[in-house]
Amino acid sequence: MPTDTKRLRGPDVSKSPSLYFSKPPATVASHGPRADGRQRDQVDIRPIFVRCGLVSQAKGSAYIEAGNTKLMCCAYGPRETERKDETDMKCGRLITDMRFAPFSCPERTSWIQGTQDRDLSLMLQESLQPAICLHKYPRSQIEVNVMVLENNGSVLAHAITCASLALADAGIEMYDLVLGCSMRQDGASYVVDPSYIEESSCSSDRENQGCLTVAFLPSLNQISGLQSDGEMTEATLTTGVRTCIEGCYKLYPVIQQALASTVRKAAPPPSES
Amino acid sequence: MATVQVCEAEKVYILHGIRDDLRVDGRGCEDYRHMEIETDVVSNTDGSAKVTLGHTAVLVGIKAEIGKPRPMVPDEGYLEFFVDCSANATPEFEGRGGEELGMELSTTLYKVFNNKHSVDLKSLCITAAEHCWVLYVDVLLLQCDGNLYDAISIAIKAALFNTKIPRVHISVDEEGGKEIELSDDPYDCMRLDVTNVPCIVTLCKVGHRHVVDATLQEKACSVASLIISVTQKGTITCVRKVGGGSLDPESIFEMTEAGKRVGKALHAPLIKLLQQEESLGKKRQKVGFLG
Repeated sequence: MPTDTKRLRGPDVSKSPSLYFSKPPATVASHGPRADGRQRDQVDIRPIFVRCGLVSQAKGSAYIEAGNTKLMCCAYGPRETERKDETDMKCGRLITDMRFAPFSCPERTSWIQGTQDRDLSLMLQESLQPAICLHKYPRSQIEVNVMVLENNGSVLAHAITCASLALADAGIEMYDLVLGCSMRQDGASYVVDPSYIEESSCSSDRENQGCLTVAFLPSLNQISGLQSDGEMTEATLTTGVRTCIEGCYKLYPVIQQALASTVRKAAPPPSES
Repeated sequence: MATVQVCEAEKVYILHGIRDDLRVDGRGCEDYRHMEIETDVVSNTDGSAKVTLGHTAVLVGIKAEIGKPRPMVPDEGYLEFFVDCSANATPEFEGRGGEELGMELSTTLYKVFNNKHSVDLKSLCITAAEHCWVLYVDVLLLQCDGNLYDAISIAIKAALFNTKIPRVHISVDEEGGKEIELSDDPYDCMRLDVTNVPCIVTLCKVGHRHVVDATLQEKACSVASLIISVTQKGTITCVRKVGGGSLDPESIFEMTEAGKRVGKALHAPLIKLLQQEESLGKKRQKVGFLG
């Protein structure tokens, strides 16, 4: 193969320069208020903005913004299932797809779905499935696509909330909404709804560190999704799950209101005159 | 996932049995099936182990290779997990059928080992920012009969215990170039400290109770299960709900507690067994795959 000798060839693979910075503030202070002014050790979730029905082509769609975490979700279906070989045709199938936009994280990611995205898709599916009346949609599939536009932490939790809202907007029969909340334990203190920096910070060799994401069905009082990593004692985990449930309850009225206002807009109540 | 069809009457039978703490094969709710562990089964690996749990059989091979440390953590080596669901186990895995399950298992393994204490990654570093050991943990499913997570985690712990990483010496020549020299002595090797390597306990919610080490039949009766990875000290490194159902918060707390208890009890006999096998040395009778 003829090579261009006039130019210097760049390396085949490249990494973001930010990885090589000597980073002094990698450890976030583990006491005092958080960088964005929220309180530590309290169920202090970021204020969220939600809207339904932005994508006209989709059956249902939703957009959620919590701090700088921004993501949108579209729900399609029910439509005829593509995979005919499935033995269980009495129930519908839920297909989820979660993707990060290449520019959503500090480091560029490729368009191709990586293992992380596929894992998150699976978590999303397992969290949403218990809430959907799949038996009402035999021989059909429901698709949920989540696109993360900007990742500033707690992506999975907000994706779950957003996806359930999009499904509700699409008019899919559901038992309950699904709300997501995550927290990060750091030694003795914890932060709810962590930002990207708080999520990836690892302060020294302390025990009891980890992330926890809970998907919760508020009116049925059921946990549909649970995932944690890091190191935690059993007691921490238990209180962590309780904290996340509390966080979900804080989210609940906002989501309900967003849904109600969408319905009201779609079918305005008859004016009494 | 490999699944079996269970009819309604059979489900009721299993459900009622579990309610009374008696399972189809005579076990209690928190009992494991008979387990067989053999280490050093594949000679081409740096460490290997085979675990059979009932009819579930898992083979783990660990290969150590020299690689470049990740820029974020220049003074640590790393582990790579890959789970292969071959069509041997069930015909469902043929072609790309097993890919999804394999991915699910391997990402869970990454989460389980995503902490500072499980494996001492610093000991895998050769020269900071230049060379480190990369441990490729390859899991092969030979037979599927439920409870893959537990079998895999035990096999990985056994294989890590068995892993012998050759010692390397770094010599610097006059120009500052570094050279890595492998030791000639095959017994001059580094062992890994596996005391903090967690084991996974899968708890299947069946009816109002939960069972440990569920068979495929029992799994077909449950809507959701919780996987908990527990270290010897009882710290929990990963929790995950799998399956299409949801769980009550209270039952999740109950299951975590049970998982911790069962997991903690699993470690001591396992380590004892591994040490016993190790002490036999060359005299050990190899069982192999047909045993």
